[in-house]
Amino acid sequence: MKRIFTRISVLAAFCLLTINVALAQNITVKGKVIDGGDKTPLPGVTILIKGTQNGAQTDVNGNYSISVPANATLVFNFVGYTAQEQAVNNQTTINVSMASSTQQLEQVVVVGYGTQRKIDVTGSVGTVKGEDISKQASVNPVSALQGKVAGVSITNNGTPGSSPQITIRGTSTIYGKTGPLYVVDGVWYDDINFLNPADIANISILKDASSQSIYGIRAANGVVLVTTVKGKKGTAVINYNGSVGIQTVTNQVEMANASEYATAVNEAYSLQIPPAAPLFANTNLGAGTDWYNQVLRSAAVTNHQLSISGGTEKSTYNFSLGYLDQDGIVKNNNYKRYTVRLANDFQIFEPLKIGYNVAGTYSKSKDAPTTIFRAMYAASPVVPVFNTDGSYGDPNAFNLGNGSNMNPQATLDFFNQNTTKYKINGNVYAELKFLKNFTFKTSIGGDFGQEEVRGYVPKYKATNTQLSTISKLDIDRIENRNWLVENTLTFDKRWSDHSLTILAGQTAQRNKMYTINADAQNVPYTSEGDLYLALGDAAARSIIDKGELSTFSSYFARVNYGYKNKYLLNASIRRDGASQFFGSDNVWGNFPSIGAGWVISNEEFMKDQNIFSNLKLRGSWGKVGNAGVPFNPSTQTVDQSAALIAIFGGIPYTGASIRSIVPPTLFWERSAGTDIGLEMGFFKNRLNVELDYYNRKTEQAIFDIPVLGSLGTANSSLIANQADIQNRGFEFLATWADKTSGGLTYSISGNLGINVNKVLNVTSGANPIYKGGGGLTSGYVSTRTVNNRAIGEFYGYQVAGIFQTDAEAAAWPGFKKGDFKYADINGDGTIDLRDRVVLGNPNPKFTYGLNTNFAYKNFDLTVDIQGVADVDVFNANLSSRFGNENFTKDFFDHRWTGPGTSNTYPSADLAGGLNNAPNSFYVEKGDYIRLRNIQLGYSLPIAIVNKWKMQRLRVFLNAQNAVNIFGYKGFSPEVGGTPTNAGIDTNVYPLFATYNFGVNVTF
Amino acid sequence: MKKYINTQSFFAAAAFSAVLLTASCKKDFLNVPPQAQQPSVTFWKTPEDALKGVNAIYANLRSWNNVAFNTIVIESTGSDEADKGSTPTDATFFNLYDQFTVTATHGSLQDFWTGQYQNINLCNQVLDNIPNITMDETLRNRYLAEAKFIRAYSYFRLVRAYGNVVLRLHVPKDNSEYNLPQSDKAAVYAQIEKDLNEAAAALPQSYGAADLGRATKGAAIGLHAKVAMYQNKWSDVLSLTNQVMTMGYDLFPDFEKGFRTQNENNIESLFEVQAELVPGNGDASNSQYSQVQGVAGIMGWGFNTPSEALANAFETGDPRKDATILFKGETTPQGDLIPTTVPNERYNQKSYVPFALRVSGFNEGAQQNFRVLRFADVLLMNAEAANEQGNASQALTSLNRVRKRARGGNNAILPDVTITEKTALRTAIWKERQVELAMENDRYFDVIRQGRGAAVFGVKGWKANKNEVWPIPQNEIELSGNLLKQNPGY
Repeated sequence: MKRIFTRISVLAAFCLLTINVALAQNITVKGKVIDGGDKTPLPGVTILIKGTQNGAQTDVNGNYSISVPANATLVFNFVGYTAQEQAVNNQTTINVSMASSTQQLEQVVVVGYGTQRKIDVTGSVGTVKGEDISKQASVNPVSALQGKVAGVSITNNGTPGSSPQITIRGTSTIYGKTGPLYVVDGVWYDDINFLNPADIANISILKDASSQSIYGIRAANGVVLVTTVKGKKGTAVINYNGSVGIQTVTNQVEMANASEYATAVNEAYSLQIPPAAPLFANTNLGAGTDWYNQVLRSAAVTNHQLSISGGTEKSTYNFSLGYLDQDGIVKNNNYKRYTVRLANDFQIFEPLKIGYNVAGTYSKSKDAPTTIFRAMYAASPVVPVFNTDGSYGDPNAFNLGNGSNMNPQATLDFFNQNTTKYKINGNVYAELKFLKNFTFKTSIGGDFGQEEVRGYVPKYKATNTQLSTISKLDIDRIENRNWLVENTLTFDKRWSDHSLTILAGQTAQRNKMYTINADAQNVPYTSEGDLYLALGDAAARSIIDKGELSTFSSYFARVNYGYKNKYLLNASIRRDGASQFFGSDNVWGNFPSIGAGWVISNEEFMKDQNIFSNLKLRGSWGKVGNAGVPFNPSTQTVDQSAALIAIFGGIPYTGASIRSIVPPTLFWERSAGTDIGLEMGFFKNRLNVELDYYNRKTEQAIFDIPVLGSLGTANSSLIANQADIQNRGFEFLATWADKTSGGLTYSISGNLGINVNKVLNVTSGANPIYKGGGGLTSGYVSTRTVNNRAIGEFYGYQVAGIFQTDAEAAAWPGFKKGDFKYADINGDGTIDLRDRVVLGNPNPKFTYGLNTNFAYKNFDLTVDIQGVADVDVFNANLSSRFGNENFTKDFFDHRWTGPGTSNTYPSADLAGGLNNAPNSFYVEKGDYIRLRNIQLGYSLPIAIVNKWKMQRLRVFLNAQNAVNIFGYKGFSPEVGGTPTNAGIDTNVYPLFATYNFGVNVTF
Repeated sequence: MKKYINTQSFFAAAAFSAVLLTASCKKDFLNVPPQAQQPSVTFWKTPEDALKGVNAIYANLRSWNNVAFNTIVIESTGSDEADKGSTPTDATFFNLYDQFTVTATHGSLQDFWTGQYQNINLCNQVLDNIPNITMDETLRNRYLAEAKFIRAYSYFRLVRAYGNVVLRLHVPKDNSEYNLPQSDKAAVYAQIEKDLNEAAAALPQSYGAADLGRATKGAAIGLHAKVAMYQNKWSDVLSLTNQVMTMGYDLFPDFEKGFRTQNENNIESLFEVQAELVPGNGDASNSQYSQVQGVAGIMGWGFNTPSEALANAFETGDPRKDATILFKGETTPQGDLIPTTVPNERYNQKSYVPFALRVSGFNEGAQQNFRVLRFADVLLMNAEAANEQGNASQALTSLNRVRKRARGGNNAILPDVTITEKTALRTAIWKERQVELAMENDRYFDVIRQGRGAAVFGVKGWKANKNEVWPIPQNEIELSGNLLKQNPGY
């Protein structure tokens, strides 16, 4: 770390030396700054002399005065307004009218392969500015989007270094890649956890099919366009942002203590048929071990970011460094990320510009065992962490059986796994303008990454079941080598009332992934230098590798036409070929789109009305594809797995055969969607409202359906195009931005997304696709996907009450007192899987956010609230039982203990009979609302910081997830999962809050 | 000069992108073969492919569906010799099979079913494809016979468990052959016997060390005898077992040691599911047969524990009791102390692997072979068939041969049986089967075959005209569009 900082200071010194200091005669300039909309004065605007750290601020009446060189340029900056530059040119009075960034229709939006004025956009594009992302405590840029954009649902995973799950306008894909396409400066990625959030200038989320369509091939789950920060002309600007913080667990679930646990286990034993002898002779065991307190901690997080940017007439640069050091809330868990990014643009000669943007990321994590969260829940409080002799408390000494036979402290202590990732990516481009209206751009992008997961298990014995008789070294390596070449030709012309942009382009890309997993036994460990497979037993090494290779070739074109800024028309077509489909007749797919807009407020007849300052109606339709499907699913392959190795005379011999069925051909999975939007501005655009309705249908979705077991295939499923899925919804965004005469500037923005998911048609028809759960839910499947219902609904028994006596249960084979009484749906007198009903829907119907910004004098405050509603969670923490796992305090306090004690909670024999089968008791409401982010900042007066040779010095306090409100009885209602296995909570990272203190310094 | 360099770099960049552009436009740019996977059209071409295909069949016999939970509940739990095991609250679904409250939707019914059809698919792959490979004729015939043997074994397990099952004798050509109706029990048995006859004709009597564990002629004839016994074809049972008795098999001298890993594939063995702990290869060491029944918390999970009734079934002093049951607190002949803190009184000793052979990271007891057919069973089948055919003296000879080995030289115990009255002798043979073959997945269907299901298991809830077979998996019926018909009573 120390070395890194030394390097930073060398670089910083180098850049400072190159700053050109302009020397000239000083004059005094005075003036007034007003709001370009309502012409009221703007107090607190900072005015800087370009290229220096000297500046001033406007007073409450918007007036300023500054002594400057006569040839200087002044830069006017104010939160919520577009920065403006004014050359002094010997003027002594410069009045400025600033345009609010929320009210300007000239605002530019990044769209596929270009930008558009916001007014010209006919689709639905959500945008988030870089400053709104960097103001979050989130260390992952996607996580920072939570609650920011209507219709974008984000499920966080607390593991340091991991990426959240993002769903745009509902689940539209079942199999393969279900996440959106990320395009960072033109290069495609499946994930952007390598990005330093501070490097992001802007994010655009393409939500409707017509906007996405230009990315045809991979756009079916939405497109997230990220533009990184570039340098601007002028002297070097150095920014440093740093913060330190602490993360603490919130909303922790209270578990039963040792006495309570022993009581409950004895009760469960007494309820067996015939009754089993009590496991604990004495149940008065006190509090025992609180495994959560034992394993979890308050964890530190540190962030340093440094950037240097600037440029000349001919070239600009931006160089940034980032360092993140995050401890996990599980002891021993730590994640460090180092990022570096360099962007350069060169205007070689008048029509030709070339540039590059390249980033490197290195991360290293000391991982937490993935099973630890389940282990803490299941572990028995009667087991001590350590015995009095210092040995580990052994659950086997208490005869607890399977399911709770681990000591989580031992799990943690003997877990030694590190993940390191190296990534280098970016692009180089050349742009040539010719014949006045034409621009030709060629770009070559690459993404090269290597990831290594290295685990070492020493020879040890902690308990009877937690031991290792041999030491073992595991090394997994993943390499990515992806490239993308893009050529685009743009024609852009405006004449009289017309504006016309025509884009034509061609791309080719190749994605290669190579994975190798190897292990060796009896590797010594006296130093890191021993951790090589070569040092293990030569006879017991194992190596398996895998590869994925896909190529894509694409052609596209788009026309944007506008007439009198009133009538807008966009149309595009993309033609994609994908290697996945090679061998079928469907290698190529065509993805057209069309969109139209009418800016009603620009019509003559609207001239005299005062209600709308802006009114625009837009509609669009488009088709997109999803190539993120399994590789070559219509090619039957040979199963050569190790499970087919035969043993003869104790010696292994290779086996292979054919154990799958495949569809005769495979079609593109595509989705077609319509979007209708209304944009309205009121009160001179202080209030902006945007409404969208969408209806999107995924056709021929690719996924697996169950097939007859008698076919004898390895996994009784067939992957093919077998379903149509619909997502329909409504989005609402309203933003109020204003300032008071007292100098308070503020904006309040609320968004709401409503989505309804439905499977329209599935090949299995009335035969449902049962999935999900399995090992997570005591071996039972717990979701169902069927025609006319949402994907992956929870499915199980309907609890009708609790059997109070054996006499009452006698009529139902397999049931006894204290058991759940299930509704006999088919009325056949027995309870089995034919009696299951829909228990809930893991797809949230409502997602919403409320984002606010306040600035008063030198203070600024950001408060973001976010939540989801009308969603269900399967609390498999409680239901997943294989023996004597611990109970929650809530369950212990409410359990059935005899006739009349409870008609909702069953007896402590939760693992008995069908008590642990998926049922309505375990499905809970997953609605939540939380204070996602709150940040209070104070910028020191400019006069003071100027003395310190700074342009700006701001200190802030920040809290993320400080308040969470939900009724769910598990740890966090934020549970992800694949579409047919979503919302099942067994091993979720506990929810935590982060509190930060930080500084922003600009030189 | 400056301009020259710029122009040059521009042209260089343009040329570079042009090259890549050209690359991408090449016609075969999108022709990407499957990565690290062999397309099946290139398989079944060489004698090596044939060998791999046959090997795969054997490998699948040790899969979870073939040796672990699903096998136990279908073939053992319903009997009077085994209890659920483990802690009372662990895997309570075993009780559905123990108390005969299971309904057609329970997952183990599907999994056992699928497991057998997975074997059958692997056999059918071999039987359909190997005839087209240019290869040694004798070897080809042996491969085909091996596949037929295991197909017969799998169908035998299916017909015992479910009655009328789907008879698949070929790999389906396309989806028109996916969904087939059930065949009746008699037709299934006929096919099994046909396969076994053809297998016996082509299989060798024994193999060299490198092929030890493959199906032999003796295995095919011995299994055929058992299949005939389940149909009460006593003259067939007698002649088939007589035939096996001339093939060089004998009882292994030490009953207990015969079940230890070093005595696998011994002189008594007709067929065993081969398993091994292959260092560095967890997937090849995937048998969980011993693990699920191993001493809880030490060598496995502790399921399928010998019942008190079984412990009481042994005659006084019968060494087979101690060789069949690991008692809490005992020290095994291999020196392992079964601690008194384990949750169960008894564990299965026939699947027992000494604690010292445990290697962490692998399933406990992954080394243990599952004994499918032993010569002792052949002798007892011979005894029963002889008795049914009125030849009490041959019956007693075979029966007492089994008892003699069990006696282990101690003449104070297990005296020779001398009964010659047919019914009483039959009862004595059945009793011998119970103790000799205990905890080897024989007892449950054996009692049903004897027609004594209600008499022996009735107290646990077993009902005649229903529980002779388990229900056809409901999921399978639904996927077949109700083409498959449920068994009576379910």
